[in-house]
Amino acid sequence: MHGQMWPSPATAQASVLANDWLLFGTAGLAVAVIVWGLILFSVFRWRRKGQTEGPLPPQFDSNNPLEIAWTAIPLLIVLALFVYTYRAEADVERLAPKPDVIVDVNAYQWNWTFAYQGGPTVQGSFADPPQLVLPLGETVRIVLTSSDVDHAFWVPDFLFKRDAIPGHPTSFDLNPSKLGTYLGRCAEFCGFDHALMDFSVRVVSSSDFNRWRSAHHT
Amino acid sequence: MSPIAEQAVAPPGRSDLLGWLTSTDHKRIGTLYVITSLGFFLVAGALAVVMRTQLARPNSTLVSPHAFNQLFTLHGTAMIFLVVAPFAVGLANFLIPLQIGAPDMAFPRLNATSYWMFLFGGLTVFLGALTSEGAADSGWTAYAPLSEIKISTGLGQDMWIVGVFLVSVATILTAINFITTTFIYRAPGMTMWRIPIFAWEMVATSLLIFMAFPSLAAALLLLFVDRHLGGHAFDPSYGGNAVLWQHLFWFFGHPEVYVLILPYFGVVSEIIPVFSRKPIFGYTGLVIAAFAIAGLSMGVWAHHMFTTGAVDDPFFSFLSFMIAVPTGVKFFNWIGTMWRGSISLATPMLFCVGFLMNFLLGGVTGVMIASPPIDFHAEDSYFIVAHMHYVLGGGSLFAIFAALFFWWPKMFGVKLDERLGKLCFWLLFVGFNVTFFPMHLLGIEGMPRRVFTYPDVGSFPLLNSLATAGSYVMLAGVVAFAWNVVVSTRKRDPVGPDPWEANSLEWWTSSPPPEHNFDDLPPIRSARPVFDAHHPEIAKGGAG
Amino acid sequence: MMVALRLFISSAVFSSVIATAYWIFSKEPTGTFLLGVMSFGLLFVAGYTIVAEREADLVGDRPEARPVDAAGELVGTYSIRSPLPVWTALAVSCVGLGIVVSPAVAALGVVAMLIAGVLFILQSR
Repeated sequence: MHGQMWPSPATAQASVLANDWLLFGTAGLAVAVIVWGLILFSVFRWRRKGQTEGPLPPQFDSNNPLEIAWTAIPLLIVLALFVYTYRAEADVERLAPKPDVIVDVNAYQWNWTFAYQGGPTVQGSFADPPQLVLPLGETVRIVLTSSDVDHAFWVPDFLFKRDAIPGHPTSFDLNPSKLGTYLGRCAEFCGFDHALMDFSVRVVSSSDFNRWRSAHHT
Repeated sequence: MSPIAEQAVAPPGRSDLLGWLTSTDHKRIGTLYVITSLGFFLVAGALAVVMRTQLARPNSTLVSPHAFNQLFTLHGTAMIFLVVAPFAVGLANFLIPLQIGAPDMAFPRLNATSYWMFLFGGLTVFLGALTSEGAADSGWTAYAPLSEIKISTGLGQDMWIVGVFLVSVATILTAINFITTTFIYRAPGMTMWRIPIFAWEMVATSLLIFMAFPSLAAALLLLFVDRHLGGHAFDPSYGGNAVLWQHLFWFFGHPEVYVLILPYFGVVSEIIPVFSRKPIFGYTGLVIAAFAIAGLSMGVWAHHMFTTGAVDDPFFSFLSFMIAVPTGVKFFNWIGTMWRGSISLATPMLFCVGFLMNFLLGGVTGVMIASPPIDFHAEDSYFIVAHMHYVLGGGSLFAIFAALFFWWPKMFGVKLDERLGKLCFWLLFVGFNVTFFPMHLLGIEGMPRRVFTYPDVGSFPLLNSLATAGSYVMLAGVVAFAWNVVVSTRKRDPVGPDPWEANSLEWWTSSPPPEHNFDDLPPIRSARPVFDAHHPEIAKGGAG
Repeated sequence: MMVALRLFISSAVFSSVIATAYWIFSKEPTGTFLLGVMSFGLLFVAGYTIVAEREADLVGDRPEARPVDAAGELVGTYSIRSPLPVWTALAVSCVGLGIVVSPAVAALGVVAMLIAGVLFILQSR
């Protein structure tokens, strides 16, 4: 249920998000290694040996072409990253015109209600956290709200979270792409038992989903 | 003035309590700010060690959830409002008049009033812990409706509101004082383009305070009205708007992050040239970058709200990315300052190098989470905790220590011990990275922030134990610093006006400076008047 | 003062641009209002600087000025001791704390603030 250190993307959206992580992680690490290298190089290359002061080093204090270059190049990198991230976000947040399953999720201190439109409604208890059952490969619309304070719906293996804010319902789509059971939790601090406000998500095949749904229909 | 420190300056005596209570001398007020913020730092740091001890093992029951929630609320509130920001204010209070060659701040009595309001405000926040329901426990962000009276019924939350309000008013008053002093009270020849970078960074910081803090004050007032006067601004069950709190809070909160870092950009910009024996590289670029960061930071507040689904993500994402450019300029300028220099790794410089190394990682993860698709996973996880601490701990805190070691002789007339200083640096540097680097991984793996416990799954126990071990190493570093203060104070080894062969005007006068600051001034023809006076042979061709 | 003026004006222009852009992209009232108030505040400061400091000739702004050029100029007299700041801060804190703890403390704070105000006026004569 709890995956490995790096979550494996379990929805179509999560695959897009994982690519964003990969790109930014690589670019960030590359920049960091280069700049760390420059810092350590300067410190060790020009470190004063011994206690003698010696003559003053060259007293230069500016270099316009260089300064323009190190303003312009990061600017270009950042603009490229923005274009990429803009597209990725649009992909992830796109809402399907006709989702296959719609679930109204309500967060409250300190538990969750998953109300499938057309039934059933899943209620958990504190000892037995609720489970959100989702069909593989279909489009699931989550309509998220809260009935008391701010919470956040977070499934690490979906690489995604959304805040549940009272009076402010929001929607997003999930296209589960991998069978399995995943841990979900509240990410926005919500008071006393915030740390224990867990739920789980089980992704099953379409036919299993329909069987589960009719068995629990009330 | 002859550079001899034998001038009869009475050292701050223990019996002079009334003097400290009523002083309007900017140096005394600055020293009070610095000491007070270090006191709050010890308390807030101790709270953090208790939290890390609770989190060392899964399902630990050392502290209750209620106590844990108070711990991180007080830790965050104190570190941000009562440590990192006021230390900068204290340092600036002490330094700005000296650096620009002025006798005092523009409004000395207002200055003293600000300090005492800050102190009483900070104490009020902590006094909340003595009330029956304990201190505030809704986080330093106090998100409504969690902080509304229906949920947070305790008096502690009210005292938090009052305390933070007092601190924010005090900060606004101080900002006005800094801006006025720097613009009006400069010594003859000290044009704006010759003031030290630290003074410039404080002008940018003050401008930010001036624009951002009123929003916090307004939010706190509204919350108070909601709690006690029947308002419903943030209460959706009566038509209020919970997102409004986040807008008002982060409109202050993000510029606040730069209030917490810009002064420390100034600190390293002062220290690196001295220990590289070169002028600061790209003075103009650094100043422009400071104001670019300050300006952009006013338009990025909702990148803390990407996951609400209630804001225009691309707008905020774009401006957040843009901040990377001036920040990069600063980094390259610091490297340019060290380039081909004659570098001495004395303790202040060591802390500056530590600052550069740590802050860089905080900056890189900052660009990552400015991308909403990444933030969707990282937000409110330990990844954010790691990012924030790399900026404010690895960044600001390391610069605080750099500043303490660098300006301690000027403030107290004695140098801190170098060997203990290096020990302090290595303990803090290793401890810091062992504590906070694993938190990136914890966040990616799925650990939310502000949890009092976690299940025994995956690498949670291993990484958390590692982080806790690191926090003890940091604690040892802080003890080494305290021991250093005791040892160095006992030794009473007086220093001259300029123990580091530094550049700016505060190093012209005695250590500590007399009440009127200067007996005389050198001619000011560049950003390095003291260097010019000591090196007349190259002063003409030096930095302009 | 040219530098200060340029700084205030460019800040005001920049924040007006951000405020306008924000409204165009988001149509979100809270942030637009906050940015608008901020722009207005900066514009006010810039305007004030133009009016009040137009004639200002600061010795600190003259690049060739020598220390002796400031001699004889009255930069103000300072009493470096004053009990009023700590008194005022205590009074303000009593008002704040009193509001949430007890009205009596708040009343005490208000009285203390009034005394401080009177003393400030007397002292600045």
